[in-house]
Amino acid sequence: MAYASGYFKTDYAMELRLIETRWQKVSAAVLVLALGVFPLISPQVAIGIANQVFIAIVGAAALMLLTGYAGQISLGHAGLLAAGALTTGVLFKELGATFWVTLPASAVVGGLLGLVFGLPSLRLKGLYLAITTLALHFVVAFVGGEYETRRGFSTGILISPPAIGGFALQEQQHWYYVLLAIAVAAMLFCINLLRTRTGRALMAIRDHDIVAESLGIPVRRYKLLIFVVSSTMTSVAGCLLAYYRGFVSIEAFSLYLTIDYVAMVIIGGLGSMLGAVLGALFVITFPYVIEGLLRVLPIPAGIANEMFAINYAAFGLVMILFLVFEPLGLVGIWRRVRNYFLLWPYRQTAVGGGGG
Amino acid sequence: MQTVANIAVLVAIYALIGSGYVLIYRVSRVLNLAQGELMMLVAYLLFSLATLFGGHPASALAGAVLLSLLVGLVLYVVLMRRMTGELVIAAVLVTIALGILLRGLMVLVWTGQMARPLEKLGWQNSPLALGHGVALSSVAVTTIFVAIAIYVGLFVFFRYTAWGVRMRAVGENPLLAAQRGIKLHVAYAMAWALATFSGGCAGMLLALDSGLDGTMAIIGLKAFPVVLVGGLDSLRGAIVGALIVASAEVLAIQLIDPLVSDVVPFVVLIAMLAVRPWGLFGTEEDIQRV
Amino acid sequence: MSARGALLRLEQLEVVYQKVVTAIQGVSLEVAEGQIVALLGSNGAGKTTTLRAITGFLGVDDARVTDGRVWFEGRSIENQPPQLVAHQGIAIVPERQKVFETLTVTENLEATVPGAGTTRAEQRRRVERVFEHFPRLHAARRRLAGYLSGGERQMLAIGAALLCTPRLLLVDELSQGLAPRIVENLLERLVELRKELGLTVLLVEQSAHVALQVADHGYILENGRVVLDGTPQRLREHKDVQEFYLGQAGGGERRSYRDVKQYRRSRRWYG
Repeated sequence: MAYASGYFKTDYAMELRLIETRWQKVSAAVLVLALGVFPLISPQVAIGIANQVFIAIVGAAALMLLTGYAGQISLGHAGLLAAGALTTGVLFKELGATFWVTLPASAVVGGLLGLVFGLPSLRLKGLYLAITTLALHFVVAFVGGEYETRRGFSTGILISPPAIGGFALQEQQHWYYVLLAIAVAAMLFCINLLRTRTGRALMAIRDHDIVAESLGIPVRRYKLLIFVVSSTMTSVAGCLLAYYRGFVSIEAFSLYLTIDYVAMVIIGGLGSMLGAVLGALFVITFPYVIEGLLRVLPIPAGIANEMFAINYAAFGLVMILFLVFEPLGLVGIWRRVRNYFLLWPYRQTAVGGGGG
Repeated sequence: MQTVANIAVLVAIYALIGSGYVLIYRVSRVLNLAQGELMMLVAYLLFSLATLFGGHPASALAGAVLLSLLVGLVLYVVLMRRMTGELVIAAVLVTIALGILLRGLMVLVWTGQMARPLEKLGWQNSPLALGHGVALSSVAVTTIFVAIAIYVGLFVFFRYTAWGVRMRAVGENPLLAAQRGIKLHVAYAMAWALATFSGGCAGMLLALDSGLDGTMAIIGLKAFPVVLVGGLDSLRGAIVGALIVASAEVLAIQLIDPLVSDVVPFVVLIAMLAVRPWGLFGTEEDIQRV
Repeated sequence: MSARGALLRLEQLEVVYQKVVTAIQGVSLEVAEGQIVALLGSNGAGKTTTLRAITGFLGVDDARVTDGRVWFEGRSIENQPPQLVAHQGIAIVPERQKVFETLTVTENLEATVPGAGTTRAEQRRRVERVFEHFPRLHAARRRLAGYLSGGERQMLAIGAALLCTPRLLLVDELSQGLAPRIVENLLERLVELRKELGLTVLLVEQSAHVALQVADHGYILENGRVVLDGTPQRLREHKDVQEFYLGQAGGGERRSYRDVKQYRRSRRWYG
């Protein structure tokens, strides 16, 4: 990953370094500054979108670990988000539990469910695994729905904002900093995980599990581990989502939420944490962009009423275009642009795997 | 007895939709998760044609059947052909995306309102008494016969016609098939056309029986455990799977709770995946096992 | 050998995998009409790559013919899609997975697409002819090909290839995994078929014994290059062929692998 000419890795420590060059140091500082200032100068709506993006980043990073790095395809992501949100809702409603109880509880439930979701991966691969996780999603959704109707919460469960150190999170701006910190923590956790033996084992399993096994990597243990880690993160994201929205309803966790998250990792670019961030940003802002476009463009009023359908169709179309024309996702585009400028005035010619 | 009749109708519907999944999977190893949206599209096309040719129900039906074949063909040529040689899971995701796209477009074109093609065709869906106190609507009875006819047709096609045999050959080993001069794209395109046709028939019959709105695609997804239970690459399996899932569903509704009907197919599916992941009649090597 | 009678001619063919790995380099060979030509070489010599370059099956593995030409009946056919090559009259009996295992023997034959303008009756007659050539297939015609023995599979694969009415038949590893008597039998069939149908055959083999029995001409491929060619007579007399391919030790006793490596390094082939 040479970001600058003349930069070469000469020892192992350099391989592990997070920030490699001075240019990266500068851009990281600029990014931190921009993220810090953003809520002070932006309208409420934009901060709200940013908050949703942060939660989505946690969920997308979890799915990226599982699908993009360990190669285990899961279509049960919405089920896991729902599990986290429901755990929070149930504990809050039934026991009046606080944030410091519900968050770890969601994590534990997520981890346990990860074990359940991961068990089929010991026997199944690829399409069949995806289908099994899909089936588990329906079971979680069914259990949640049953709970809501039996207890008379069919319209959903209201949750009051969480108090952290006697300080209730209500303002979008406050949420912004908390969620930003959580999203950054999640990213750092994932990146660090991937730099360790575990991360390399996961990628070995993704690339060829039989070879990985014969290299002495305990494939089953790592598969279960990554399912548990990923599910825990997802469930935490679900808990955050519940608090942020102040409302839990199983209706919100349909199959389409899964597709949203799968779209994030694909549009972002499989096998890249940056891809998870870009994908989350893209998918969350997409409907707002479309809405904005419709308002600007001279479009007959009749169609503008069908916002939902337009969003849907456009989203499907974008996903198809990415899958067909840019399987590497946004990260692929970003790398090509970056390499163009890095190598300018020379033309980039792809050799082997292309630029890192 | 009425229960048996209800199960038979549901089996026919599930088997028809299931055959669509099986056809495409068997020939191209792609799981078409847009099957539900495709059957809905065909049903809407029938509705539009029925509105256009109000006086000629036969020509509207024939037109819809032709269009269903055409839709599958066009989808393959325009979209899925580009996915040959890509990862199977990428192709599956394309079908998911296609489903989303179609669903959005269909709401835009036809709105999400309840549409009743039967009235547009000027027909009545009168109940037929079948003796022993059993009664089914005439469309439901037709559904059973159509399902039987299509399955017989498919079996004959795959067994006795050159292209049917070739499609089986392509499904088993595309490389060898190309070496024997079989045009892969023709085989794949035919699979897509046939799958939209049989799935579309299910969609049209459902729409004729009970009208059609935005929720029809969900039935397509519910039929998906059917093919997994039977084995993704087996037409015979689709019938048996339909039988198992439909019976479980109808019995669950009657004995336990109507609410569970949505989840029953998936519980059956998980049980099946745990015990015999390749399904009852599927080929064992198909499954990528660890 | 003159260029006039050549049905298939490879000219300085070079194939590169994934844009970086060169598998064969500067391979030239000729197969004259009506001949049986053997292409010999050990594992990884580039035999299968050469075959794939002819049949157009390189794309699957992200490989390309980067240099040179493949001429068939005076037309250049490199980098063409497989079906097109098949329709021009080149049929192949692949090394592995040569039959459709879930289809019956008859269905295997019927699945083959005949040349353009073949009527159904004509196709039927050809299937009958295949059964005449291989009576064992006729006896097994209703069985699934997956349950056939290795020899029967090879017969079926040859039979199916013949249904394309090929001008040129490419056979990849005819003898692999088969009992010597069955190999003899299959070779006899091939010679018969050549006489009867005017077929031209390119045999790709590891076993020089087998191939040189029936070939009119042989090529030896090593490390992606043709290192030696000539009549079977000449090849059999060549010391290195005797040693490395026919298993007869040159100096009386068998040589060790290390010696063989020495020979490779000294490139005795070119000397």
